[in-house]
Amino acid sequence: MAEPQLAPQTHRLPLTVQDVERRKRIVGLGPDDLARIASIKSTVTEGADQFGTVFFDYLRSLDGTASLFKNTAALDEARRLKREHILAMVGGDYGVSYVKQRVLLGALYSKVGLDVLVFLGAFHHLMKVIGSEVMRRHAAADPMNVFESFMSFKKVAFFDIGIIVDVLIDERERTISLQQEAIREISTPALQLRDRLLVMPIIGLIDTQRAKQLTDSMLHAIRANRAKVVVMDITGVAAVDSKVANHLLQTIAAARLMGATAIVTGLSAEVAQSLVALGVDLSRVNTVGDLQGGLEAAERLLGYKVVQLEQAASPIDAV
Amino acid sequence: MQVPILKQGNVLIACIQAALSDKDLIRLRDDLADRVGQFRSSGVVIDVSALDVLDSFATRTLRGIAQMTKLRGAETVIVGVQPAVAMAMVQLGLTLDDVLTALDLDEGLALVAARNAEAGARLRDRHDG
Repeated sequence: MAEPQLAPQTHRLPLTVQDVERRKRIVGLGPDDLARIASIKSTVTEGADQFGTVFFDYLRSLDGTASLFKNTAALDEARRLKREHILAMVGGDYGVSYVKQRVLLGALYSKVGLDVLVFLGAFHHLMKVIGSEVMRRHAAADPMNVFESFMSFKKVAFFDIGIIVDVLIDERERTISLQQEAIREISTPALQLRDRLLVMPIIGLIDTQRAKQLTDSMLHAIRANRAKVVVMDITGVAAVDSKVANHLLQTIAAARLMGATAIVTGLSAEVAQSLVALGVDLSRVNTVGDLQGGLEAAERLLGYKVVQLEQAASPIDAV
Repeated sequence: MQVPILKQGNVLIACIQAALSDKDLIRLRDDLADRVGQFRSSGVVIDVSALDVLDSFATRTLRGIAQMTKLRGAETVIVGVQPAVAMAMVQLGLTLDDVLTALDLDEGLALVAARNAEAGARLRDRHDG
C-alpha cells in the first residue's frame, strides 16, 4: 500500500499569517525574543547533530515508539526534519513557512503513531539538554541574561509544541471521521430467509442519511422479493434515541404501505428502558426480544411451522 | 380520466392508470360507494402501482373510500404502493394507518378473501355462542 503524501493531510490546519501571529501571541513570542535567541544561536547550531541524536535516543528508550524505529525510511526523514527543526528554532524567522515545516514533522510523527505524551517527554528532554549546554557555555558571563535568552528560546519550543500537538490531534480526528464514514458506508443487506420473509440486520449508527438509505433498500427488497414480513434486528445498534426510534417508525410505516409487516427484534434491556424513559410510543410496532423470537413470530405470520425430526440427520447422511 | 372499476367475483377492482385530478378522485369514491351496494361486494382492491405520487388529498380520499366501503360491508385494500411513493408518504406523515395495504393485486385479493373468511368465522362464533 502506498504511503499517503504528507502535504494533502495537513490542509485542515489553517496556515494563514493571522493564525501564525495568533500562535505567537499566545506563547508571547515577540521582537525582543529574537535578539535574545540570536545570542545563543551559535551554541544550538553547533550542537544540532548532537541534540538530534539525544532526542531520538531518548525516544528509543520510551515505550510505544517501536513503530518509528522499525520504519527506517520514516526515521531518516524524521531525523532530517528534526535537525532542520533545531536549526530553524534559532533561525529567527517564525513565519508561515516555519510553521509549515513543523506541520510536516507533526504529520510524520502521526504517521508512525507517536503518542502526544511520548513526544512531549522527548521534546522536554531535548530542551533540558540544550538548556544545560547553553548554561554551561554562557552562564559564567551573565547568568541572568542567559536565563532570559533561554526562556525566549523556550517560547519558540512551546510555539512548536502547539503546532505539532495540533497536527497530532487533527490527524487523530481525521482517522476517527474516516472510520465513521466507513461504518456508515457498510450497507444494510436485506436477506431472504424464507419465501416472503426478509431479515435486515442493522448494525452501527443510524442517522438521518442512513435511515433514508435503509428504508429505501428495504422497500426495494420488499418489492423484489415479494416479502410479506420483514424482521429488523437492531442488536447491533449501540444507542437508540428518540430520533433513531422515529426513523425506525417511519421505515415500518413505509413497509406497511407496501403491504409488508415489520417486526423489530434485538431491543436490549437498556434500549427498552431508554425508549420508555424518552416516551417513544412503540406500541404499534411488533417487537420481539431476540432475533430467534422474531423469526418464529414471522414464521407464524406466514403460516410456517418448523418441526424438528425425531432422528436428527448425522453430518455424513446429510452429505 | 375515469377509473375503470372491474367486478371479479364478490370483489371490486379499481385500477388507477394515470395521475388523477381531485375531481376524478371524488368520482372514484362516489362510484365505488355505489357499486359496493349494487353488486353486494365484500371487498374492494384499489391498485395504485401506476402512480408515482400520492398527495394528501389522494391519501385522504383513499382513507375515505376505505371507511365508507367498510360501512357498506366491504373491506378496502390499497395495493401496489411504489417504494419511492411509500417513502414520500411517510415523510409527509401520510401513513394510512387504518387502511389495509398489500404488495400487489394478487396479495390484495388474497387479503380480502382472508378477511372475509375471518369475519365469517367471527359471525358464526357469535351465532353459535
